[in-house]
Amino acid sequence: MVERIKDSQLSASINQKLVESGERERLKELLRSRLIECGWRDKLRSHCKEVIKQKGLENVTVDDLVAEITPTGRALVPDEVKRDMLLRIRTFLAANT
Amino acid sequence: MCSCPHLKDFKKADGLKVFRKVHAHFVCCGSREARKRKASLCYCHECGTYSGRLHSCLFCVYFGCYTGNRHIHHHAQSTGHSLALDLTHGVVYCFVCRDHVYDLDLEKIGVEQAVRAWKTLGNGHIKYIPWEPSKAELQLLKENKKRIKLEKNSFIGLRGLTNLGNTCFMNCIVQALTHTPLLRDYFLSDQHVCAGDKEQCIVCEVASVFQEFYSGQKAPHTPFKLLHLVWTHARHLAGYEQQDAHEFFIAALDVLHQYCKDDAPNKDVLVPNNPNRCNCIIDRIFTGGLQSDVICQACKCVSTTIDPFWDISLDLGNIDHSNGRSSSGASAASTPDPTPPEENGQPVPEISSHHEESFVPKSLVECLRRFTRPERLGSEAKIKCSQCQTYQESTKQLTMKKLPIVVCFHFKRFEHSKKSKKISTYIPFPQQLDMAPFMASRLNGNGDHSQSSLCCDSNYTLFAVVNHSGTLEVGHYTSFIRQQQEWFKCDDAWITKATLDDVLQSEGYLLFYHKKVLEYE
Repeated sequence: MVERIKDSQLSASINQKLVESGERERLKELLRSRLIECGWRDKLRSHCKEVIKQKGLENVTVDDLVAEITPTGRALVPDEVKRDMLLRIRTFLAANT
Repeated sequence: MCSCPHLKDFKKADGLKVFRKVHAHFVCCGSREARKRKASLCYCHECGTYSGRLHSCLFCVYFGCYTGNRHIHHHAQSTGHSLALDLTHGVVYCFVCRDHVYDLDLEKIGVEQAVRAWKTLGNGHIKYIPWEPSKAELQLLKENKKRIKLEKNSFIGLRGLTNLGNTCFMNCIVQALTHTPLLRDYFLSDQHVCAGDKEQCIVCEVASVFQEFYSGQKAPHTPFKLLHLVWTHARHLAGYEQQDAHEFFIAALDVLHQYCKDDAPNKDVLVPNNPNRCNCIIDRIFTGGLQSDVICQACKCVSTTIDPFWDISLDLGNIDHSNGRSSSGASAASTPDPTPPEENGQPVPEISSHHEESFVPKSLVECLRRFTRPERLGSEAKIKCSQCQTYQESTKQLTMKKLPIVVCFHFKRFEHSKKSKKISTYIPFPQQLDMAPFMASRLNGNGDHSQSSLCCDSNYTLFAVVNHSGTLEVGHYTSFIRQQQEWFKCDDAWITKATLDDVLQSEGYLLFYHKKVLEYE
């Protein structure tokens, strides 16, 4: 229990640092472009289209869609991209602590 | 795009102001203070979590989590405040309609503030905003129903070029240029604005060549007008004689650069970050920076100059052993618009390497290693050192300071020293190339290489190869080009399918590599 509280405190303070420095926005933008380049966005988009077709445009909300595609979306992120992001966050933290 | 009655009422009650304020402070921070505040204040007012897609109530600026404990939903239910702003994505949710609401006014504010926030972060490049067709563009799309789509098996974009009498040197380069992805995007999106005489403008002609390539026509295109313009602009290439494709490539870039200088975007705003100091499409794609460090052997003082380059000419070793004179090692690349050296204004002297064993490179990477290694300039080539003010022996090293988006390697297959002849040695070249080992930051050991390898991607992929067959006097040029991951051989009017192996097994005269990952500028 203590461990978990510590973890959440740590992630909160990391988050705070990333936001404060603007690094979060930069990383977000980078991630966005990486995901576009590797075809992730196109894949996810066609998946969304399928879901919408299946359920019918009128019967689907953004929340439904998010719930439906989140697992696929997470699984589709290439390991390379994840590794790169992690490395960048590490580098940032090393330089800012 | 749909708005909802609840949002409409909210907007009537001066809601845009509230939206703008919350958005500027907690979605896209326009200042350091705002970022600080966002960092410390953005958590769920109920459970204190930082994640869970925080939303802010637009009526009382209460923050609550959307997923997980769903505190923002509880808040909306208990207070009747029906609109909340997603702090991660900047979109508005209506709890009555139970869906996100899209509103043109809100979106406009959002984009505006996102761009401003991005600027305050001190990022050199412009924030990428996805394209949304305007009303006029939608109308145009409706009126022009025909869509051309590149698919795996479509041959659109491939077209033979008639040989107009020894013009294969031009045809092979035109094929390479028309299949340069960024150049294609530029021309097909009609970005050239002609300032002068359209009839004389070579950029307009290249644009029409691109149109020809993508018109879907199958018969070979006859580029007579392009040839005529080349003749009038580069007199040394005029006539029906055989010409060097490499020379043509450099001349073509030079003429194109002269003509499209004026349609460079944001000429006054953006500082071009290529060494040629020009924002035109040619320089944005092809110009790299070559760093030359001359180190005085007496005082170890380094004088550095950076020169723009459009291609890198690589030596294939010395075949001619007769008088013990070896070929010069790294020879500088052709440079567009020679700019004066940055420091001390001294011209860099001709390099003549000394006491060199015979060298025959076995691969492209080996050629590059040789190109970038330190080289003794020898006792006949003493240079006046700016530090110790005496003429000293020195060493010189060339490295890549700035990598271009497209890098062109030129194997020096034509020797013009004593006896002119062609070197036909096979030099293997890879499909994927990493330029990191030849970067200035890496080779000079400035210690910042971990950072530079993070922020500038140095991986390249082959997309075109120009080959020469025959001898120095009589020969023929062909090219391999990549389209949609497939390879094709272009032999003047004939286009045939090729395999990657065909390409990699070919002799190779000019190699064109494209950066794999583009940084936004």
